[in-house]
Amino acid sequence: MSTPAPPPAAEKKTLTIVFDGKPIEVPPGINLIEAAKLAGIEIPHFCFHPRLSVVGQCRMCLVEIEGIPKIQAACTTPIKDGLAVKTTTEKVRQSRAANMEFLLINHPLDCPICDQAGECKLQDNAFGYGEQRSRYDERKRQYAGYDRTMIGPHVVADMTRCIQCTRCIRFCEEIAGTGELTFLDRGGRTLVWTHDGKPLANDWSACAADVCPVGALTTKEFRFRRRVWELKKTPSVCPGCNIGCNISIENRDSVVYRFLPRLNPAVNDYWLCDYGRFLSESLNARDVSKATVRHASEVRDAVVPAAVERIASEIRSTIETEGPSAIFFLGSAHLSNEENFLLRKIADHVGCGNRDVVVDRSRVRRMKSKTEWIEGDHAGANYAGARDMGLSPGPGAHGLADVLEGKWTPQVVVAADASFAAAADDPEKVGRLRSARFLAVAARTENALTRAADVVLPAASLAQKEGSFTNVQGRVQWFQRAFLAPPPARAHWDLLLLLGVALGWGDRTWTPADIRGRIREEVEGYDEVTEEELAGGGLMRKGLFVSTGAV
Amino acid sequence: MTSEPVLLARVGRDRSQAIDTYLADGGYGALKKVLTGGWTPEAVTEEVKKSGLRGRGGAGFPTGVKWGFVPKDTKGKPVYLLCNADESEPGTFKDRLLMEEDPHQMLEGQILSAYALKCRTSYIYIRGEFFHGARVLQRAIDEAYEKGFLGENILGSRFSHDITVHRGAGAYICGEETGLIESLEGKRGQPRIKPPFPAVVGVFGAPTIVNNVETLCCVTHVVNRGADWFAKIGRNEKNTGPKLYCLSGHVNRPGVYEAPMGLQMKELLFGEDYGRGMKDGRKVKAVIPGGASAAMLTAKEIEDCPLDFDGLAAKKSMLGSAAIIVMNEDTCIVDAATNLAKFFSHESCGQCTPCREGTPWLHRVLSRIEGGDGRAEDVELLEKISNQMANGMTICVFSDAAIAPVLSSIEKFRDEYRYHVENKRCLVGPRAEAIPVTA
Amino acid sequence: MTSRRYAVLPAGRPAEFPPEALSRIDRILSRYPTKQAALLPVLWVAQETWGWISREAAEEVARILELSPAHVSGVLTFYTMYNLEPVGRHLLQFCTSISCHIAGAGGLLDHCRRRLGIDLGQTTSDGRFTMVEVECIAGCDRAPSMMIDDTYHEPMDPSRLDALLESLP
Repeated sequence: MSTPAPPPAAEKKTLTIVFDGKPIEVPPGINLIEAAKLAGIEIPHFCFHPRLSVVGQCRMCLVEIEGIPKIQAACTTPIKDGLAVKTTTEKVRQSRAANMEFLLINHPLDCPICDQAGECKLQDNAFGYGEQRSRYDERKRQYAGYDRTMIGPHVVADMTRCIQCTRCIRFCEEIAGTGELTFLDRGGRTLVWTHDGKPLANDWSACAADVCPVGALTTKEFRFRRRVWELKKTPSVCPGCNIGCNISIENRDSVVYRFLPRLNPAVNDYWLCDYGRFLSESLNARDVSKATVRHASEVRDAVVPAAVERIASEIRSTIETEGPSAIFFLGSAHLSNEENFLLRKIADHVGCGNRDVVVDRSRVRRMKSKTEWIEGDHAGANYAGARDMGLSPGPGAHGLADVLEGKWTPQVVVAADASFAAAADDPEKVGRLRSARFLAVAARTENALTRAADVVLPAASLAQKEGSFTNVQGRVQWFQRAFLAPPPARAHWDLLLLLGVALGWGDRTWTPADIRGRIREEVEGYDEVTEEELAGGGLMRKGLFVSTGAV
Repeated sequence: MTSEPVLLARVGRDRSQAIDTYLADGGYGALKKVLTGGWTPEAVTEEVKKSGLRGRGGAGFPTGVKWGFVPKDTKGKPVYLLCNADESEPGTFKDRLLMEEDPHQMLEGQILSAYALKCRTSYIYIRGEFFHGARVLQRAIDEAYEKGFLGENILGSRFSHDITVHRGAGAYICGEETGLIESLEGKRGQPRIKPPFPAVVGVFGAPTIVNNVETLCCVTHVVNRGADWFAKIGRNEKNTGPKLYCLSGHVNRPGVYEAPMGLQMKELLFGEDYGRGMKDGRKVKAVIPGGASAAMLTAKEIEDCPLDFDGLAAKKSMLGSAAIIVMNEDTCIVDAATNLAKFFSHESCGQCTPCREGTPWLHRVLSRIEGGDGRAEDVELLEKISNQMANGMTICVFSDAAIAPVLSSIEKFRDEYRYHVENKRCLVGPRAEAIPVTA
Repeated sequence: MTSRRYAVLPAGRPAEFPPEALSRIDRILSRYPTKQAALLPVLWVAQETWGWISREAAEEVARILELSPAHVSGVLTFYTMYNLEPVGRHLLQFCTSISCHIAGAGGLLDHCRRRLGIDLGQTTSDGRFTMVEVECIAGCDRAPSMMIDDTYHEPMDPSRLDALLESLP
């Protein structure tokens, strides 16, 4: 009896690499350094970066490859099935120590004054792989005139610290596409710099400081402000535009010190644009510290519940006299899904169809994800989310355009975010909103709108609350709270819950997670955006979002 | 010695560069033979392989074998041949002579090699300092075009070829084949990671062969007179053909000399037809046999020393570019080593850490010792630094070259180094007398 | 050679190639499959046109070859033969590599320093001579070897140098 032929071996989708005798399966197309990381092995390196071309220049990643007598750079060794790598031999140990020695002979002992300390690859690798002594007793090479000098509008250069890894050069060439940086001279005098008169000024210039493994490139805005190990890192989302780059709000003692990009290959990958990055300082501004209520021409301080009650009573009386269609609820592309949802629910509860969120297309930005360029077309992080939550005028109802064009004058305007757009600081546009009998806003910073308002409630910054934004891709992303707003200021969702309850809707004890639960139930396309998904990096909500025209 | 010179046959003759002179000598006969006599490209490669010709640029790799590394299927990419005329190894001046005095010898070899490689366009990467050589070459190329040895359908065959002279601008590292390729592409001449090797991925992403000037000249003769004839010249079948030797330093008659591969070092230095001995009757102290990158040899070591690839490898040095630099007994070895270290630190491209940092470090320590400020641990330090700069630590072997003079001079003249450190002055030479030894 | 080649000096005015230089550049471009590959030859045209390559000349070359100015600066400063600042009427290039060194290049240099009153990398006040040291120029059998502009003068010695410097315009 003939036996059937055995089925062909299944196509192997992974490669087997053996690290120090232990085999591991890795996907094809990754670098050997990344493969080692998957095996839990650190191969020290400087010049390798997962998104930049491989140059094999720093020579830190030297390992032994079975079958090859000389040590090899791991980053330039193509991975193939069955490759056997040794990272713990004496030869490897010596090569790492030798390389560290070479890097340190000309490196200035700047650690006490260098911003990079604590997140410095040179420190880490010297500590991990270098000898604890120096044999160098000659003059160190210095780049006089290239230290403590701006190399661009945001980046400070201290080139004597440079280890010539070329990450910055490659970033500008390959990611930004602007190629401002180059090596000058050669040999031991090799210097990274720009062409004279063409500074490092692309839209993502501070990313060059991010990729710099030492303190040769740092940002002016952060210089000398804080030691990095003192900073708390809070995952958040950039408020600069609707690309929604993932950021880390680096903070301490209720002060935001900087934004750093947070890795998300689907959105911003390793990067962050200068505009968004340097919005960090703006989060520390606060003009509005308590609630205020206008009595005739006098503005008086108030406690928040009383101020909220003032708004609620105004709404109630207007509903009685002119009806709910005399009210206008204005949301914001800078507010979270939870907050815009609450505002809309309140509008629904009082039966008002006049609700809107403005489209502020002041600048189109671009960001490189791992695989493509994403274009952001809105100056607020959550335009898509605000629309998804229902902040559009109902049938026959009015939107902001009608107000600003003078076609309709509401009696009561509730603007959940006084900084909703550039229009909020435009006296003419604010004048139109002011033609309402009663104007209430929540705010953190002062502008024409807050100065015109009858009630101003003190609200939180992005760092002082948690919530979710939906970006231009339709991706819902979660931002966390770094620290509390200084009482009585509080999150917009907290203020809106107070207002809702004062009007007979909602529950004062709801958390943003509870609100998200209701969003999952009620908002189309959001049913699978669970807490787990958000914690795991966000999820695309279902359905296509189409941007409406600019105002 | 062969009865008559092969490579230097026309050098010194009136109008030696002119094509008429070359043609009258039977020049371009090999090309005619190949293109009109039915030789396939593969046949040319076979002939070169059979001849045992090894590269004359420094590495000594068998030329025919290197040509064979070009993939059979180049996936639509053209093949490039690059003539390495970047001669910059200290002590070397043979290519300059060949190009300035007999350019057609090289051009014929280049066209033959291009034919073997199925290459349509080749470049001559000539160092910037060779203004005159570049002019001579260009004139010769123009003559060759006029006579139909370059251009479309050479000698009525289907083979067309163009040669462009490309001038460098002052960088020794552009003599390294991938440094040359980077420079030809219009970049800083920083050597590439190998693999991939140039024969597979070279200039403009295409398969590329880089050959030295003298190597291409040899190709002319291999094809002209046959592989067997070529292989019979030289010490043995691994070291074949005529060789040009560059003799410089403290000899009576420095110059370029031709001899069969494997000439004895002593014959080159002292022979009547060659160096005619040491100037002013001084004695040999040390000889660098193959350019600055080759380990130094002592007077004793040159007693029985055939000047070929294997002969010098056996002495733990190398033939390299066949640049023999002779230093007499009045030469301070530390001073010589310092000068060589300065050269390497100037010429390092700066890409990779051990070389960029190591070459200046070596120079600084050597300068200190030479200047009278050496310390007891310095000599051992030099050895330690050197030993951690090579053997895979770097992208290219420039670093391995840089440490050769340091390590060999310390190994063979350790006492002199010690003297320098202890007495803060040279043992020999002009500065030895300048500062009196403290009793 | 000994000066630090970081800065490509500005000339203070834009650079425009004269027509014959432009036709040379066109011919050069036709010999290479990429514009970038023509960079070194085109920089030679620039140097032959102006005697040195200013920042503005570098930018003009970058524009013609569609390269970033930074790339051109990187190339300019890597190679030693491009003059990044104006040089004297004659560029005196002294080889100080090993064969010339042991043949007395150091003494020749000292002699020239004394005679011209300048050091390496400097130009005489009358603008006639600039002195630089160079690495091996392949004149080792006629050491000490030197070049003046594009011509070799070898072997060189102090009295021959004196006579030569006297005779040059």
